[in-house]
Amino acid sequence: MSKDIKNIEEKILSQIQKGEIKMKPRMYFVIGSIFAFVGFISTIIVSTFAISLIRFSLRAHGKMAQYRLDQVLSDFPWWIFIVGFLSLVIGIWLIYKYHIFYKIKPWIVILTFVLSIMISGWIINETGLDTKLFRQGPMKGLMRKYIQRNNISDISLLRQKINRF
Amino acid sequence: MDEYAELSDEQIIEKIKNIDQGLYAIIVSRYKDKLIRYANSIIKDTDKSVDIVQISLIKAYIDLKGFNTKKKFSSWMYRIVHNEALNLIKKYHKETPWIEDLDFSSDEDIEENFAQNEVVSMVGKCLKDIPLLYSEVLSLYYIEEKSHREISDILKIPMGTVAIRISRGKQIMKKICQKI
Repeated sequence: MSKDIKNIEEKILSQIQKGEIKMKPRMYFVIGSIFAFVGFISTIIVSTFAISLIRFSLRAHGKMAQYRLDQVLSDFPWWIFIVGFLSLVIGIWLIYKYHIFYKIKPWIVILTFVLSIMISGWIINETGLDTKLFRQGPMKGLMRKYIQRNNISDISLLRQKINRF
Repeated sequence: MDEYAELSDEQIIEKIKNIDQGLYAIIVSRYKDKLIRYANSIIKDTDKSVDIVQISLIKAYIDLKGFNTKKKFSSWMYRIVHNEALNLIKKYHKETPWIEDLDFSSDEDIEENFAQNEVVSMVGKCLKDIPLLYSEVLSLYYIEEKSHREISDILKIPMGTVAIRISRGKQIMKKICQKI
């Protein structure tokens, strides 16, 4: 047993000296951290905008929409719902994988993460920031498709219509 | 090598990264016994523990430039061994009791019943019969003499959970040790 333990030291050092094991360059870890961070931020942005768009879509049907459930469901952007949901799941997985916030109880982290995304999506929709971003930002193409599919002539008119309710 | 004896792990790591890779021998020498003892407390197999520690020390060396020397090296090193040991358990589907949902707070003050040295001695004797969820924390706390903060960093769990597991582990240990 003690021979095995002594061997550990010898084996490792001989591998280092022969160059069989080498340290990964610092850049490897820097790039890895950047990708993980960008991935995490992306999941937050995508899920926030997905929630904003879902709320936008539901409000576009106006009052009494619950009585036109078939129409609401047929117009509902399910793919955005799936993308938003997947982003949330990936975000939570990244929190677990990289042990971000591990000093806090996991259910508090997940609840805060999901709630803050829901609230951000709601705020973006309420303040009309989504309209501005849908016109100018990276979501422009996405929103154009949605407007075309739903025969909406002008997004500002739609917003005014929504706000009247 | 004696000139480095006074240096902290983190200072030696800085030198390994930038000056002399051979200094890793000091790290191996400082940690190998402790890590084998720790790995053995998880997988309860001395030969496999030696293998785990060897793999972990090699992995640590490979990823050494990713280690932030402002943090504690020992916590990072123990974390690697913890991951390797759990990977081995999963790989061989060893039926090691790992009860995730048994954490609960305890009003019972076990400290009154156990003197510290008695507890340490009991941990050593009874550890193999305690579910891994608790035996690992007890081993880190009593045998490896890690603080709650260090255990939290090694196991990546909140400090409150560490305290609960220690308290609960002591209760289980008391029951098990009384039977022995």
